Amino acid sequence: MSGSQAVAVLLEDRLITFNRAVGLLRRRNLPVRSIAVGPTATPGVSRLTIMIHSDEATADRAVKHLQKLIGVREAVAFPARDGVARELALVKVRAPADRYGELLDVVQLYHAAIVDDSPDALIVELTGSESFVLCGLRALERFEVVEVARTGTIALAPSSN
Amino acid sequence: MTELLTGSQILCRALVEEGVDLMFGYPGGAIMPFYHALPEYPALRHVLVRHEQAAAHAADGYARASGKAGVCVATSGPGATNLVTGIATAHMDNTPIVAITGQVPRAMIGRDAFQETDIIGITQPITKHSMLVEDVTELADAVREAFAVATEGRPGRVLIDVPKDVQTAKASWTPAGRGFGASAPGSTVVPAGHAAVDEAIRLISLAHRPLIMAGHGIILAGAYAELRAFAERTGIPVITTLLGISCLPEAHPLHLGMPGMHGEVHVNRAIQQADLILGIGLRFDDRVTGNLAAFARGAQVIHIDLDASEIGKNVPTAVGIVGDARETLAELAARVPARDCDAWREEIAGFVRPRLENFRGGLSPEGILTAIEEASTGQCTIVSDVGQHQMWVAKLYRYQRPNTHITSGGLGTMGFAVPAAMGVALARPETPVWAISGDGGFQMNMQEIATMVQERIPVKMAVFNNGYLGMVRQWQQFFHGRRYSATPIWSPDYVQLVAAYGVLGRRVESANDVDEAVRDALKAPGPAVLEFMIEQEANVFPMIPPGASLSEAIEDEPAPPRLVRA
Repeated sequence: MSGSQAVAVLLEDRLITFNRAVGLLRRRNLPVRSIAVGPTATPGVSRLTIMIHSDEATADRAVKHLQKLIGVREAVAFPARDGVARELALVKVRAPADRYGELLDVVQLYHAAIVDDSPDALIVELTGSESFVLCGLRALERFEVVEVARTGTIALAPSSN
Repeated sequence: MTELLTGSQILCRALVEEGVDLMFGYPGGAIMPFYHALPEYPALRHVLVRHEQAAAHAADGYARASGKAGVCVATSGPGATNLVTGIATAHMDNTPIVAITGQVPRAMIGRDAFQETDIIGITQPITKHSMLVEDVTELADAVREAFAVATEGRPGRVLIDVPKDVQTAKASWTPAGRGFGASAPGSTVVPAGHAAVDEAIRLISLAHRPLIMAGHGIILAGAYAELRAFAERTGIPVITTLLGISCLPEAHPLHLGMPGMHGEVHVNRAIQQADLILGIGLRFDDRVTGNLAAFARGAQVIHIDLDASEIGKNVPTAVGIVGDARETLAELAARVPARDCDAWREEIAGFVRPRLENFRGGLSPEGILTAIEEASTGQCTIVSDVGQHQMWVAKLYRYQRPNTHITSGGLGTMGFAVPAAMGVALARPETPVWAISGDGGFQMNMQEIATMVQERIPVKMAVFNNGYLGMVRQWQQFFHGRRYSATPIWSPDYVQLVAAYGVLGRRVESANDVDEAVRDALKAPGPAVLEFMIEQEANVFPMIPPGASLSEAIEDEPAPPRLVRA
């Protein structure tokens, strides 16, 4: 049964290793929905989070292929619903002066924050699960959304894994 | 004061330390410093080829015949890109190769410099590992890492890209320090888990119609004795894939044959009727299984492989064992209760079909191969190119000694045999090496005859000349209404051509002349070329059409298309 699977990879913090891992996703025709990469507490090691839409067997096979790559330290897969999956969005929004209050209400409703406030536009920071962020973005679309930057999803398995 | 060496000298010294004594290559601007240092290391024999693709194929052939990593060297840009097909060929068949390429100086990388290509980017999908060495102090360790990664676990291709200024930079020699296992956890050999082995033994004991399917992994592991011991203890018939051929002597009573697209009907029928398949060191490639949905529906599959990601990739498995073929088979042979499969084997014998003989005029692949086998008393190694002849060479020659059949299986690279045979001959100088090609494949790398003459490599070459790209022509006959588009192929007079190389050439047009021609070729001190004028429209039977199951073989010539008068 298909669903959102998270594949988390710890790998050497080098472009060539990253290239190798992403190249493998393309070559094995994996149904990738998002990719996020960032540093870890260990110097020289990055964490790559790949969200794929597939059954668990496909995700497990992706892990086996990834584990063979030189430079990959560890790879695991788990269904997204079994862990915690979050993403962050920065949204540049414009609102005329008479709708400013309405905008603030929406920001508060979605536990978002205004991280930049200038005369022509504000930048709102929104975090949450993918569906929560999508709702927040839709709500902000009542105003004039100028630009959106999203990180893609990161995920951690529950501690029993 | 510690002696300072150039990067090139460090590279050479590290290769000698790794036990390299042979390299195939071609110089150029970006690799010149390496070639300048090379004569200072006489332990490193370098064979100058005529095309870098041949260097990669020769390194591949050498590796398959010797079990050591093959080494090829090329310059940057076109030299490096010419290696790609050879590296991809080795990739699909899991041969260990270390490729060393020159690269433009560090300051020029990324600016489209003269003869610059991102060879690491280009070869990523076909290499196990690749390194651009930007610091001369890391060069010796890079070489050590390359050989460790290439030869451990599932063998792989490693490419070392060395910028020209790193080859000329100086550093002191760094002796071997830390051990090199690959940094990927999945590549270490995992011993077979006992629970899985117990379950496998249980299934083997209960099966009524079991089969062993043995692939290239048996040869890579050298597990010949263990396979034989296990098969004899259980009486289970052994099927060998194209790359598994010669892992069991073909005269052995349990040897059944090759499966798949051109496998004999009785072999494929045995698979379709089996209730247990024990697959060792094969990857259930589509050429072997036919239509996967209809493959061995009645059988449970036990899959033994070194690579965990292969298990369950194509075929659902009841028991997967990640481990070395030799160790696992030894354990199974020691613990499995003795049994026989006499009734099943008799049933399979009843599946054997008469062969359709379509070689008019008497000159047949079987006759030629028998003559070759007899003239060398079964001592030679056969290197086959790709096409119809490849199937005949696989099915009609009786391989008795292990690892005496070498061919490009996974990639199916035409032009493989002639250069690969050079590598095989240098790995096995005591016995004859035959490169068997069609007229298409032979023309792709026949320029390497010059290499053989210059380097005194006595490869014996046989060209099965039918004036067509035979396998494509067969498909055009069977599936495309006999429209021979771009398949008739003209050949020069090979006898005259090879005389220009100073090499013995003979054309054979009749079955009566085969034995003498083969003997003359073997007596010649250097390379020799025999051209066999084969029946032009002979076909390989049986054939499973693409997309069809193993039960749906074509055993007969299709009716010619009927002319419809308007």
